[in-house]
Amino acid sequence: MSAGLRKSRITWKMVSTEAKLLLIGIPVFLWTIIPIYHMVLFSISPRNAATSGRLWPKEPTLSNFSFVFQQKHFYLDHFWAQLGNSLVIALSVGALTLAVSTAAAFAISRLKVRGGRTVMNMALFTYFIPAAFLAVPMYKTMGNYGLLNSQWSLILAMVTIASPYCIWVLKQASDKLPWELDEAARMDGATAMQLFRLVYLPLMVPSLVAVGTYALLLAWNEYLYAFLLLSKDSSVTLAVALGNFLAADDSPWELLMTTGLIYALPPAAIYYAFKRYMVSGLTAGAVKS
Amino acid sequence: MASVSFKNIEKSFGATKIIHGISFDISDGEFVVLVGPSGCGKSTLLRMLAGLEPISGGVITIDDKVINDLDSKDRDIAMVFQSYALYPHMTVRDNMAFSLKLRKADAELTNTRVANAARILNLDPLLDRFPRELSGGQRQRVAMGRAIVRDPKVFLFDEPLSNLDAKLRVAMRAEIKALHQRLKTTTVYVTHDQIEAMTMADRIVVMHDGIVEQIGTPLELFDHPGNLFVAQFIGSPSMNVLKGTLRQADGREWVEALGQQWPSLTHAQARDGQSVHYGVRPTDITVSASGNGIPAKVIVVEPTGAETELLLEVGGAQLVVVMHGRTAVQPDDVVHLEITAEKSHVFDGTTEKRLD
Ligand SMILES: Nc1ncnc2c1ncn2[C@@H]1O[C@H](COP(=O)(O)OP(=O)(O)OP(=O)(O)O)[C@@H](O)[C@H]1O
Ligand SMILES: [Mg+2]
Repeated sequence: MSAGLRKSRITWKMVSTEAKLLLIGIPVFLWTIIPIYHMVLFSISPRNAATSGRLWPKEPTLSNFSFVFQQKHFYLDHFWAQLGNSLVIALSVGALTLAVSTAAAFAISRLKVRGGRTVMNMALFTYFIPAAFLAVPMYKTMGNYGLLNSQWSLILAMVTIASPYCIWVLKQASDKLPWELDEAARMDGATAMQLFRLVYLPLMVPSLVAVGTYALLLAWNEYLYAFLLLSKDSSVTLAVALGNFLAADDSPWELLMTTGLIYALPPAAIYYAFKRYMVSGLTAGAVKS
Repeated sequence: MASVSFKNIEKSFGATKIIHGISFDISDGEFVVLVGPSGCGKSTLLRMLAGLEPISGGVITIDDKVINDLDSKDRDIAMVFQSYALYPHMTVRDNMAFSLKLRKADAELTNTRVANAARILNLDPLLDRFPRELSGGQRQRVAMGRAIVRDPKVFLFDEPLSNLDAKLRVAMRAEIKALHQRLKTTTVYVTHDQIEAMTMADRIVVMHDGIVEQIGTPLELFDHPGNLFVAQFIGSPSMNVLKGTLRQADGREWVEALGQQWPSLTHAQARDGQSVHYGVRPTDITVSASGNGIPAKVIVVEPTGAETELLLEVGGAQLVVVMHGRTAVQPDDVVHLEITAEKSHVFDGTTEKRLD
């Protein structure tokens, strides 16, 4: 009897917890899904039916996609080149950030180089200054180096912005590797480089994937810096090109949304491919235990 | 094959000095065990030899060559860590071959060395497994295999058995000993377990608070502990020690403690009335139900099969006695203790050094 009572009470408690979660979850879900729904809706609607207010278009069509892919609009003249730019820049930023932050984390965490603590503190400090504040100084700096309009300027800027966080995360993850492994390797005759290549890197793969993806997506999604540092239509990224759609009064919304949808697909794909690593990698650096 | 020598080794971490001038020599092929209570600096000393910890003072030589400033990879020393420190992303085979790979040894040599080590340690069926797929004892053997493959000048072990269960520990103890007899590589082995030290060592170095208390073969330390610390540290159950006063008369000598007279040999350095510690091992006391000897009350009887351990009370102090075989003695019985003077140990009351 009393056991039954307790059981039902627990169930009631579980139900109420569930209800509270739903109460928060449903609005968050709607909040997230509605823009995506709109984007999909626009991209499969014919031009004049896009704003008809229907929940689902009467005659869904993929013609918007063929418009985009064949660059059959003034705003889409450089679609493939811009998609390529986004890709090249994101991949470069991912690779460079990984190289910089892995080397830094290894040096600070495993080689215990002097000044490591200071570097870590500075890395944290950079996040007290919003990236937008640095846009103008960065623009000037790139101008001084003569890099304006070169894609290098955006790549370097994004590496600068992404690195501190990545160093921080990788350092935390590195600290978790057993110190005896380094000692064993040193006694086995490994130089610092061999230790890095043969022991450290293989064990850091999950964190490296997480951090690399983070930097890659950061660069892929960046608008402000891309807008500032690049100006030629053929050299800007797709993010900037999307912004340019809004320059006119009668923007082709259905094409904008279609391009946006295409633009959003690679990050989603990357996220699903690396989800496994992302979760373990990012939490691995998040808490110091 | 190599001899090792420590000369006045010191070590400080910041302002705290934890090793205070240690000197001793290890000869070629010897199995030396560093033993001492936790925190006495055993690992630190070992790590200085390994090159994992800088040396604050003194000189370490291997084969008469000073190695203080040599990188650990150039010292030709292999170490087995307490945590095994196997490379988790490599198979057993690759773990063992790693050092040779770094040395760019040719594939054939590597294969024969690894196969050899695997055979010695019964690792053949496990060569393609990863460390996470092994039991504790198997990991332990892989760690040893990794050391053997290198054929180094010196083997170092830092408490290699402390993560294993009691039974496996005894088995691995014998295995390491057999391995040493086979390879005859100079070995330094750290443990805080005195039984491990007694059973494995050619010579034991007893450390305490950063100094060496005594060096000697297991039986030397057992029979002639140089001071009270060694006397109580070596041997299990540990030596009974009573505080008392030394008496000399008619060319005889004994110790007065707990209102009784405890027999001892005559000591040249001793004087009548000197305060001393009187020590006798639990196995060196004979218990009889009647007769003369020091009367004692039985508190606990612990039969272990081959032996029986008695906890006794004499004048308010407790003594442990280990008897061979079994006994009819019951708690609250009064028994009589007999001790031969030759088996007694007398230590100065203040310096705690052995009286000779
Ligand atoms: N990196 C370090 N920094 C400061 N003090 C240290 C460091 N390493 C060891 N010590 C101190 O040095 C002393 C000796 O340590 P060590 O590890 O050599 O002891 P041990 O004899 O191996 O003990 P155990 O049996 O517990 O392993 C300890 O008091 C320890 O606190
Ligand atoms: Mg230790």
